[in-house]
Amino acid sequence: MTGTGRASSTGRVLLVLLMAATLLPFVSLFVTALHPAGTYPSGVDWPADPQWGNFARAFEVARLGEFLKSSVLIVLGVVPVSLLIATMAGFATGHLRMPGGRAVFLLFVLGLTLPFEGIITPLYFQVRDLGLLNTRWALILPLIGLYMPFSVYWMRAHFATMPHELSESARVDGVTTWQLFWRIHVPLAKPALSSLAILLFLWTWNQFLLAIVLVDDPLQRTMAGALGAFQGQWGTDIPLLCAGSLLILTPTLVVFLVFQRRFVTALLQGSLKG
Amino acid sequence: MSRRTRTSRPIGPLLTLTLAGALAVACSGPGGDAGPGSTTAAAVTSAPTCGSAPVTLRGYFETGFPMAKALTDEFTKQHPNVKWDVREDQFAVITQNAPRVLADDPPDLMRLPQLSELVKDGLLKNLDGYARWFGWDKWPPGQLAQLRMGPGGRPRGEGSLYAMGLNFSMTGVFYNKQLAARIGMTTPPATLAQLDEAMAKAKSAGIQPIQQFNGGATGGLAFPLQDLMASVGSPAPINDWIYQKPGATIDTPANREAAQHLDRWIEAGYFAPDVNAVDYAQMVSRFVAGQGLFSFNGDWESANLDKQMAGNAGFFPMPPAQAGAKPAAMSAPLTVGISAKAAHADCAAVFLDWVATDPKAREVAVRTGGSHPMGPAAAPLPPVAAGTVTAGTLEAATQVDKGGTAMDFIANATGAIYAKSWTPQLQKLVSGEQTPAGLLESVQRDYTDQVGS
Amino acid sequence: MTRPSDLLARPSTVPGAPAARRRRTRRAGWTLWLFVTPALLFYAVFVLRPIVLTVQYSFYDWNGIGASRWVGFGNYAEVFTDPELSRSILNAFELVLFFSGIPVLLGLVIAATIRRIATSRLALVARTVLFLPQVIPLVAAGIAWTWLLSATGVVNQLLSAAGFGPASKAWLGDSATALPAVGVIGAWVLLGLCILLFLSGMSKIDPALYEAARIDGAGAVREFFSITVPSLRQETGVCVTVTMIAALASFDIVYVSTQGGPGNATMVPGLQIYYLAFSQREVGLASALAVVLMALVLLLVLPIQRVSREEES
Repeated sequence: MTGTGRASSTGRVLLVLLMAATLLPFVSLFVTALHPAGTYPSGVDWPADPQWGNFARAFEVARLGEFLKSSVLIVLGVVPVSLLIATMAGFATGHLRMPGGRAVFLLFVLGLTLPFEGIITPLYFQVRDLGLLNTRWALILPLIGLYMPFSVYWMRAHFATMPHELSESARVDGVTTWQLFWRIHVPLAKPALSSLAILLFLWTWNQFLLAIVLVDDPLQRTMAGALGAFQGQWGTDIPLLCAGSLLILTPTLVVFLVFQRRFVTALLQGSLKG
Repeated sequence: MSRRTRTSRPIGPLLTLTLAGALAVACSGPGGDAGPGSTTAAAVTSAPTCGSAPVTLRGYFETGFPMAKALTDEFTKQHPNVKWDVREDQFAVITQNAPRVLADDPPDLMRLPQLSELVKDGLLKNLDGYARWFGWDKWPPGQLAQLRMGPGGRPRGEGSLYAMGLNFSMTGVFYNKQLAARIGMTTPPATLAQLDEAMAKAKSAGIQPIQQFNGGATGGLAFPLQDLMASVGSPAPINDWIYQKPGATIDTPANREAAQHLDRWIEAGYFAPDVNAVDYAQMVSRFVAGQGLFSFNGDWESANLDKQMAGNAGFFPMPPAQAGAKPAAMSAPLTVGISAKAAHADCAAVFLDWVATDPKAREVAVRTGGSHPMGPAAAPLPPVAAGTVTAGTLEAATQVDKGGTAMDFIANATGAIYAKSWTPQLQKLVSGEQTPAGLLESVQRDYTDQVGS
Repeated sequence: MTRPSDLLARPSTVPGAPAARRRRTRRAGWTLWLFVTPALLFYAVFVLRPIVLTVQYSFYDWNGIGASRWVGFGNYAEVFTDPELSRSILNAFELVLFFSGIPVLLGLVIAATIRRIATSRLALVARTVLFLPQVIPLVAAGIAWTWLLSATGVVNQLLSAAGFGPASKAWLGDSATALPAVGVIGAWVLLGLCILLFLSGMSKIDPALYEAARIDGAGAVREFFSITVPSLRQETGVCVTVTMIAALASFDIVYVSTQGGPGNATMVPGLQIYYLAFSQREVGLASALAVVLMALVLLLVLPIQRVSREEES
């Protein structure tokens, strides 16, 4: 029993240390953000005269409101469409046996491990030729395509677990394939869908490479891209940069804390089932 | 599992079609027909103007320097129909973005890095027509030489005009007067040996001799290195190299001596131990805070130093190795160009002419920018208080201008030479991974790769 | 993909449910294609076509603006012979040691240590906290850590406090430590994720196994190696895969923290591609490096997937 007790207190200490290490960068950002603009504070030193005004100034120069709006628009452009078409594809390849379904699925699997850097160059010229550079469409359309392998993979795995008796009996009642999909299977897929929605939201929100290459105007970018632009412009004023970074992080953190259970489940779900 | 695999049918026609569509990219190479090469000058036959209808000029300037903003604000005050849509980034970001932005998202006015490649690809407007109309070609030719380029971007220094300056900067050595007094340095060093001596004294007095930047994508040791090159050698061969004259090389005996001299400074601990992590703004902040006797920098910082270290900052041009020789200095226009695809090229040209000729604008160039304004030799200089850094740099600029010992920056030799060669090589020199001779050899190799010989 | 969590979230493929579903008519089969078409279209236009184009570009010398010139495998030869380019690939491998090595090894040990308190209140709070690095943009992680690792940053402050003052330096500005420092940032991002993965894996291990081991007199160490580690084979596979892709395809963190410097000490293929394609305009060379990177990821990830899933089949 004593062995267990000791092990558990070692565990506690370790866990606390781990949390401290995880939180350290955030604390450092916060404390640094309170120093006078343009200075180079050293380490974590609580400033003699905390400059809370830095946050107000960062809010103003970072145009946080506009960044938020842009990111939300991009997320709204990417997530619903991706969910719909990935669910349709996952349904057809995972639940109903379509001719060539396996080949299609393998084609999608091919894209699962693709590093975005691999195709960013042609993507740039393609988006330019479509006349979409510097618009939100330059992010929305490619991202839908880039997230498709994972989304289809995910939804297919869900539909593969659905009992076929369900569809068989519906068929007997004479429903069409679309009705079978929309009325019966989509409602049942809600947990898988909401997890996928969270993942797609997060990846879109945090997408950086596409944002800096395809969109120059930070007001048309994702949040991560906007942060990149903020650093490009204000990176030389450390306290302001820290304040701006924290502000830009806040919406994500709030969404995460509100939906944390779903977030954690979504991110861990795969292995939990395995 | 196995049953499923067997039942897989021949690939559906739609799939084949999609794949074929994806694969059927042009069999010929990418890219259009032969590139446009450099743009040719369009003759300007009537006065370029901003008109009277509302116009929004798109600008892309360097962040951290208030002059561009001051100028655009003043221009709008005088031309109320002109509004600005300005984007700002750090210079390293601008350098990365320049070709892409000029080609695909053309601003009217843009702060430019090195020009050769941009001209070669036809991304910049040929300004000869404007130059003739406004009479820019009657200014002292040295002011615009660096912005002139032969067909295809080579050689530089002559040919058509592809950019303009907002002002004309001057570099040298800034020093902290209080710290100088502590080591008994009462007058600026007149020779390289005296400079070395002052640094040695500072070091033994526990004062950081040099505050410089060399971190990230910006190898700031290029400043002292080039100053040393000019100090032990002469500016002419350096300029030939920068202008891509045939056969020019940076790996000369004099330059090797300069690189070795720089290496001795590194070895002696004259630079901060974390110099490879210090960026430009941090260097300025440290110098202002009194953490360094010298700093190799340019007059774009003069106005700021006059404000933040009033009376305590001094300036001298890099002293020559030989007593009595003329001091040389890097000096270059703050380069701004007009995109070949700019929507309001005429108005942008009007702005550039206005910057050089309007009295208010010239005052901004000096007071806010700290540098010598562009323009005709006879144009009056705005008065500057004596004893300020700004007065010191303006005085030095006149001296170097007269002596004909101005150089462009070695970082401007080719579009990629700074980011790809100087910066990493200088950082390696600091960390001891590169030798002085190896540094020059390596840079020369990259240069030859990029421009041919 | 660039975000590490992708492969982690991998719902298990449940082998075929009842096979009594032969009577799908051919007509119905073809209407199903309508379900797949939109997804396939987006995928083909924005992923497959660019992949093909990357391969095509890689055989040309092209500046992205003017005409192009066929150079065969010249660009590939340059990727492997130019010391700067091949160094970036080696750097990516070195990053794998940090991005994968630390989270997997340290993660296993930590998870095993805190396994017994996995349901306590503290652990529930930890679940949230350890997930934070996964939620924020990598750019933000890069910015925060750049400051932390600077000459005057917290890391040096802690070192001095612990009596290692002389060891303090600008970690990202020293070519000897810059790459490991970037690696540490990556490890920070990925460690929490791996720990939580392992914990959830451990919760499925039959407690009877541990009981039996204890009766046999096995110590904590033997327990760890003979029960915990083998049981977490699949989770380990997922962890290695996710972290490896994150390391090989790293971009965001390096872009904001070091831009590949000092020297080329932290240059990685992703950043190199970006510089080559968009600032040096060597589109052909960038594409060749991109093809090498894509191939490398596939070559490394596929065997791991195979090994970690062997059990399942």
